[in-house]
Amino acid sequence: MSADPIVERFVELDRGSDEPLYFASEDRRLFGWLHRSAQERTATTALVICQPFGYEAVCGHRCVRAFARAAAASGVPTLRFDYLGTGDSEDIEPHADQIEVWTRDVIAAVAEARRRTGAEQVCLLGFRMGALLAVLAARRCKEVRALILVAPVVSGPRYLRELRTARLAALLQSESDESHPPGAPTAAEASLEEGSIEVSGFPLSAAAVAALSRLDLMNAGAPQVAEALVIDRTDLPMAREWTEAIARLGVHTRYVALQGFVEMMMTASQFAVVPEAMIATLRDWLQRFHAPARARAVERTPIAAPSPVLSIAVQGLPGDNLTERPVAFGAGGSLFGVVTEPRAGEIRRRGVILLNAGADYHIGASRIYVSLARRWAARGYVVLRMDFAGIGDSHTRRGRPDNEVFPPAALEDIQCAIDLLRSDYRVGDITLAGLCSGAYHSLRAAVAGAPVNRILLVNPQIFFWKEGATLEDIQLVEVVRSPGAYRERLVSAVHWRRLLSGQVDVWRILRVSAHRLRLALQSASQEVARRLDIRLPHDLGSELEEIGARGVRMVMVFARGEPGIDLLRLQGGSSIKRLGERCRIHIISSADHTFSRMGPRAALEEILSNELFAHH
Amino acid sequence: MSVTMPVRDRIAGLFEQVAREQQRKLTPLTDDLKLLQSGLDSLSFALIVARLEDTLGYDPFDEVERFPVTFGDFVRLYESRVR
Repeated sequence: MSADPIVERFVELDRGSDEPLYFASEDRRLFGWLHRSAQERTATTALVICQPFGYEAVCGHRCVRAFARAAAASGVPTLRFDYLGTGDSEDIEPHADQIEVWTRDVIAAVAEARRRTGAEQVCLLGFRMGALLAVLAARRCKEVRALILVAPVVSGPRYLRELRTARLAALLQSESDESHPPGAPTAAEASLEEGSIEVSGFPLSAAAVAALSRLDLMNAGAPQVAEALVIDRTDLPMAREWTEAIARLGVHTRYVALQGFVEMMMTASQFAVVPEAMIATLRDWLQRFHAPARARAVERTPIAAPSPVLSIAVQGLPGDNLTERPVAFGAGGSLFGVVTEPRAGEIRRRGVILLNAGADYHIGASRIYVSLARRWAARGYVVLRMDFAGIGDSHTRRGRPDNEVFPPAALEDIQCAIDLLRSDYRVGDITLAGLCSGAYHSLRAAVAGAPVNRILLVNPQIFFWKEGATLEDIQLVEVVRSPGAYRERLVSAVHWRRLLSGQVDVWRILRVSAHRLRLALQSASQEVARRLDIRLPHDLGSELEEIGARGVRMVMVFARGEPGIDLLRLQGGSSIKRLGERCRIHIISSADHTFSRMGPRAALEEILSNELFAHH
Repeated sequence: MSVTMPVRDRIAGLFEQVAREQQRKLTPLTDDLKLLQSGLDSLSFALIVARLEDTLGYDPFDEVERFPVTFGDFVRLYESRVR
């Protein structure tokens, strides 16, 4: 059998087994993935995945995908989807009670899974707050026969306390910014309704907070299901008591506590680890629940499968909708993205490509890429939010790891995205944009001569990367953040006393100081070489001037205090001044690295939009 | 200020454990270390506080409006509840 060279290059590149789709939940549309099973013709059971909330959903995206693929491989077709106002689904009305709306979304997903697969019964797999929603939905939906709950939120009030703590801790960032009073709300935050909360960039309305504060599964009776598998976390097992309680009420239960929850869902996406033990437990349990003896030939209703499209109304322009659609592109359709298109009749063919920030999938930190894409499409731009190979919903190149933030083939992936916009959408004017590593890749693509007109870089932390470096190396950027502090530590008697008592990591201080010195020397020598027209390696200043000379506009936006600001000053040298208007730099106060607070995020959106629209 | 060692040790141990689990580089813990510069993020702190509630039986963040700025402040917040 001759091997397909494209399939050979990618892991699990099985075109057609994972199907992106939209479906209705009342009058709104949700985005989802149906993971088909090879044995689906005989499947009587489908699995619906209920995602966790907020940042946990971003961190765990690739892991949840792994659960879905494992379940499908076990013969159970699986639907994973985004609740209203999350991921790639339609936006939600800001005051809506998300707990109620999302419970209804789960019920709609159950109906959709049955409609598309012909399965009679559905099992819900919920993670954290998604597990709580699964229990609520099971009470209202008799087709739900079983629950699999991973680290379920049993007590709403306790979960709210966790969210409030995370929010308080996040406010530390703004307290460090002298231009903004401690904890003071920005103008955008002041408009938040009383009682609502924003955690790591994800809002919960006052109604949802009130609903959560009243929810405690211990007082809620048993869900109307026959069976339940509870996979608790080992660091904070919360669900044993509840599992025993529902067992006493007649639910056939199995309880296990397994390691791996924090590494899957509470760890930044680039470090997230797929919990193999949990997946093995899921697979075993599903095989028993969905035993072949219980399966039978199912008459599937053929579903017409047109290309999935989401139509989004534009405020103030009734009937003039944007459209959004998932796209597979690159070699063998190995890369995934979502394209937002302007209303029909837009003749200016301008496009933007948004690149992954770290290993966060294509919605961007705090879902800012979705917001930007819809905003820019309303102004006439075609916007592609893409995943690099191995990130989000793209396939992984063979021999490469998942969640690789600086993949060596990133430029190849970007070129595929540019080709897609040019060939399928006839885009002639292209902007590359991204946050953190997305900014780095945008810059590198422009340096490499990719046909782009503009780059929008948000909080780049480095300007050069060599394969083999680790993400920990990036933490050395602190050498530029606070050189004075390190110098002070080296000469401080207090710090020497601590050093002698073993309380200070002297090697780290020396390493940081040495790196700082090396950067300063390198910067000075590059400055001299530039004046003599000599090109040294890793000369950011010369690279920026070359990009500028080709007519590419550069915009850099930083959160105040970001190490990239000083790194740019050091490595860009006098070139930054010479570039003038061709390289515009903005600094936003009270922001953290990922713009997780609503106010600074609104400011970022405004700046990027103004810069994008400025020369069109 | 006197410090109850077991609480401090427990807190320091949790900082180290969470940093390890989340593959973060933890800055050596001293009283004047600003939590912002500890290498942990807001999610890490929420996790630490939740685990401390599980082991110590209380959550002092129920009653505070601002997160402690330094590691020393964080420890003292818990110690004040012990006394």
